Amino acid sequence: MTPPIMTIALTIIKVLTLVGLGLYSLFAGIMIRQEQLMAAVLEEGFEPILRILTILHFAAAVGLFILAVIIL
Amino acid sequence: MPTLFQAPVTKPVKKPIKTHAHARMSPLTAFAVNPYGVRFETQEAEEQVALFLRQHLIVNVPWIAVTIIFLLAPSVLFPLILRSLPAPLPFVYVLIGTLSWYLVTLGFALVNFLHWFFNIYIVTNERIIDIDFQYLLFKRFSQAELERIQDISYTSGGIFATVFHYGNVYVQTAGEMPNLEFLAVPRPDKVVEKIRSLTENLPGSI
Repeated sequence: MTPPIMTIALTIIKVLTLVGLGLYSLFAGIMIRQEQLMAAVLEEGFEPILRILTILHFAAAVGLFILAVIIL
Repeated sequence: MPTLFQAPVTKPVKKPIKTHAHARMSPLTAFAVNPYGVRFETQEAEEQVALFLRQHLIVNVPWIAVTIIFLLAPSVLFPLILRSLPAPLPFVYVLIGTLSWYLVTLGFALVNFLHWFFNIYIVTNERIIDIDFQYLLFKRFSQAELERIQDISYTSGGIFATVFHYGNVYVQTAGEMPNLEFLAVPRPDKVVEKIRSLTENLPGSI
């Protein structure tokens, strides 16, 4: 049987992890928007790759958040 | 009295800027004369980009080093932390923790690269532009017309600046216009030379 203190500690870690990953997903979404604004200022050939990278980063953040909700 | 000499009345005409071969742009370009395929937000139809600058690539070394340390840290740091815990942590928590660590590392590298990539200095045949993105959410667009430039100078000091040939260029402008600073740009002497040649080609200049 898991000691109650361990259960409380794991619950606190779980809540903190979910809040942290939720906020990080928000930050990753803002990063996409900001990249779009930056790209509007400067038109350059490499910009689509940066856009894909920021979108992938956002997708990874949301994916990890969902994974944490499911498995923690 | 007969007129011996009459100066021709001509409108001041913009002298064309000296043409050079167009520089090809790559994602890591930090210095390009007459770059090909670059446009910026408020560029006018007849305005040509004469010089495109970013900070020297070497300024990225600190955050790249931190990123590498962050990437290597889990293999060293995590076992130490896990061993020091009074009770073993379930595997799923370790998994989420490790993945989160790598995600934040990716975000850190991305933010730093975007910051470097979009902080640019542009010199056109009409003006000088400094575009700064700070902390991802703050943008500053400064510009100075070439006619308003009063003085231009540069400094280059320190071991790295000397070895990698970069420095700061200072552009002083007349009146209320803000002074512009190009920080850690490659070949500052060439930048000063280019701006000077552009100002000399302005209409009305000698």
